[in-house]
Amino acid sequence: MNAHTPHAAAARRRQAAGALWLGSVLTFLASTPVRADMGIFNPPTLSTTDGRQIYEQICQGCHMPGGVGAAAAGHYPALAKDAALGSRQYMALTILAGRRNMPAFGAKHAFAFNLPPVTLSEAQIAAVINYIRTHFGNRYTDPITVAEVAALDRSAP
Amino acid sequence: MKKNPGRSVSRRRLLAMIGLSAGSAAMYQAMHSLGYAGETTFTGPLQLSRAPKGASVLVLGAGIAGLVAAYELRNAGYRVQVLEYNDRPGGRNWTLRGGDRYTEMGGATQECRFDPGLYINPGPWRLPYHHRGMLSYCKRLGVALEPFVQINHNAYVHSRKAFGGKPQRLRAVKADYHGHIAELLAKATQSHSLDADVTAEDQAKLLDSLRFWGALDGNSRYVKGGNSSDRRGYDRDPGGGLSARPQYSEPVGLSDTLSSGLWAALPFGEIYDLQTTLFQPVGGMDRVSHAFGRELGQSIKYNAKVVHIHQDEHGVRATYENKSQEGAVQTAQADWCVCTIPLSILGQIPMNVGEPMANAIAAVPYYTSIKVGLQFKRRFWEEDEQIYGGITYTDLPIGQISYPSSGFFGSGKGVLLGAYIWQELDSMQFTAMSPEERVAKAVEYGSQIHAQYREEFDNGIAVAWHRAPSAMGCFGVWTEATRAQHYDNLCGFDGRIVLAGEHASYMSAWQEGAVTSALDAIDRLHRRAVAAGAAA
Repeated sequence: MNAHTPHAAAARRRQAAGALWLGSVLTFLASTPVRADMGIFNPPTLSTTDGRQIYEQICQGCHMPGGVGAAAAGHYPALAKDAALGSRQYMALTILAGRRNMPAFGAKHAFAFNLPPVTLSEAQIAAVINYIRTHFGNRYTDPITVAEVAALDRSAP
Repeated sequence: MKKNPGRSVSRRRLLAMIGLSAGSAAMYQAMHSLGYAGETTFTGPLQLSRAPKGASVLVLGAGIAGLVAAYELRNAGYRVQVLEYNDRPGGRNWTLRGGDRYTEMGGATQECRFDPGLYINPGPWRLPYHHRGMLSYCKRLGVALEPFVQINHNAYVHSRKAFGGKPQRLRAVKADYHGHIAELLAKATQSHSLDADVTAEDQAKLLDSLRFWGALDGNSRYVKGGNSSDRRGYDRDPGGGLSARPQYSEPVGLSDTLSSGLWAALPFGEIYDLQTTLFQPVGGMDRVSHAFGRELGQSIKYNAKVVHIHQDEHGVRATYENKSQEGAVQTAQADWCVCTIPLSILGQIPMNVGEPMANAIAAVPYYTSIKVGLQFKRRFWEEDEQIYGGITYTDLPIGQISYPSSGFFGSGKGVLLGAYIWQELDSMQFTAMSPEERVAKAVEYGSQIHAQYREEFDNGIAVAWHRAPSAMGCFGVWTEATRAQHYDNLCGFDGRIVLAGEHASYMSAWQEGAVTSALDAIDRLHRRAVAAGAAA
C-alpha cells in the first residue's frame, strides 16, 4: 500500500473539492480559478512551457543546478546520469503524483497547506522531462509527448 | 442547549454579513497558512513517576521535541542519550547572528555579517500567549521573553496592482473596508432588506453598532470627517496652539477598496495563533534550545548523522556517522526510542517499523519557506516612517517585511526580516536561487515598498528551508485525508519506537506542536516502560 492508492487519491480529490475543516477556504479557492488580482495572493502556476526555465525555477531548488543532487542528513537524488531516467513514464508519474518529500505537481494529486498548491500542466511536465533527459549528461532520444503525460495522468490512481 | 433553529440561522447570517464577507472569510481561513488554530493540549508540567531502574531511552534529534522529551525523561530518572545532526541544539529553533556561518545543501556557504546584538530567527520566531507549553519551558529554563509585535496599524499592506503600487497604511485600509461594509449594512437595514432576519428591536441595536464599529457619521455614512479620520488617520494630525486644527483625510471609495485586494491582509492579526499578546525570547529564538542544551549537557551527541535504526524485542539501536570524522560509524542503543527526525529525512533512513508507520512517514511532503534577513545602516522604518515592529504584507514574492520588535530608537544599524515567503511558487523559485540572488531579490522587491533600501542596505543572509541540511523542508503538510489515513499510525508506538515533532501534531509548523507531541509520546513511553519493568 502506498500514499497513492485509489482511496487516498479519491480522498485527496474530495478534499481538494472542499471537504476539509477549512471548508470555506478550499471551497472558495478550489472552485474559483485563482485570479491574478485576488488580494495579495498570486496564482501558483508558472507561465513558461520552456523545460529549462521550469527546471531552473522549481526543480533545481532540491535537485540542484546541473542536476547534481545533494546530501546532508538525507539526500536529494542526482538527475545527472541517473539510470531511472531511462523510463520517461516513471519520471512523468513521479512528477504528477509526487514521491515522499517530493510534492506532486499534477493537478489531480497536488496538495499544499491551505493555499492552492503549485501545479504544472501536462505540457510543462513533458517539457521539463525532455529537458532533464537531454541535459546533465543524459542523452535519451525518446522524448515524452504531452499526450503521453495526459494518458499517464488519466491512468494514475 | 435549547434549540431555536430560526433564530440561530438569523444570527449566523448577521454575523457573516457584519464580520466578514464571503470572500474575506475565505481569505481569513487561507491565512491560516501560518498555523492551525488549535489550542494547546498542554495543561502543566509533566509529572512522570520514577523510571524503572536502569531504563534507557534514545532520542533522535535535538529539536524542540527531542529536547523536551530528553529533559523530561532524564528528570524522571531514565538514562537518556540524544543524537543530533547539527553541531548545536534546536533544529529549526535557530538564530543567525554576526559571525555565524551557514552552509546549505548544495554547498553554498554564507557568513552572517550583522552587527552585535542583531539577528534573525530563520525558523520559528513568535510564541502566542496560549502556547503554554513553550512559555512554561521558557519560564522554567529562565529564558527571558519580550513582546513580539504582530499587528502594527502604521505598517503597510501593498499590492503591485493597487494604488499604482504605492503601499497603504494598514490603519487606512482597515478603516475604509470596515467603514464601507458598515455603511452598506446600515443601508440594507434601513431599506428593510433585513426584516426577515432581524427583529425591529435588534435592527436599532444593529444600526448603533454599525455606526460605532464602522466610524459612520450621524447619517450612517462613511465619509470624510472626524469619525473616519479617527480610524484611518489625518492628513494633518490634531495639535496644540495655533496649529491645532486637524485636516481630515479622504477615505478611499468602496469600489477602489474592494478592487485593491488589500483587504486580504486584514485578518492576519485576528487568527488565533497570531492574536496579541505574542512573545519572543530576548536575543533570539535559540535562547530556548540552548537553555535545554545546557541542561542536557553531555547527554547530547552532536554531529551525529543517523543512518540506520533497528529494533528488536530487547531494545533499539541507532547507527550513526560522526560528521567530523569521515567514515567513523558508531552505534547507540537503549530500551526505547523517541525519534524526532523530520519525516523528510526519516523516510530515507532504513528503520524496521511496520507498514502502517512506514506508509505514514511516506505520506507527508514538506512545505517550502524562505526567510531573508537584511541589515541596514540605520533604522529608517522607525526614523522616517514611524514603524515600530509589526509586519508589512505584500503581493511581491517576498511576502512580508517584518520590523524588529526590539532595539527601538537605536541609533546603530538595524536588521529587518526582508522576506518571509509562504506562497509556494514564490518560495520554490527563491529556493532555486543562490543565496546571493535571494538576498539581491529581497532588496530589489523590498525597495518597491521602502525606497530607502537602495541607500541604506548593508548586508543580508537567506535561508531556504528545503536546502537546510537537517530539515530538508519547513514543516510537514497534512490534509484532512492524509490525517484520516495516516496520522494515528504515525503517532502510535511501533514496537519500541515512537515519533514526535510538529509533524506528529495538529499544530503544523508550530513549536507548541513539537512540545505537546513530545509530552504525549513520552507519557505513553513511560507507561509502557513501567509496565514492562513490572513484568520483568
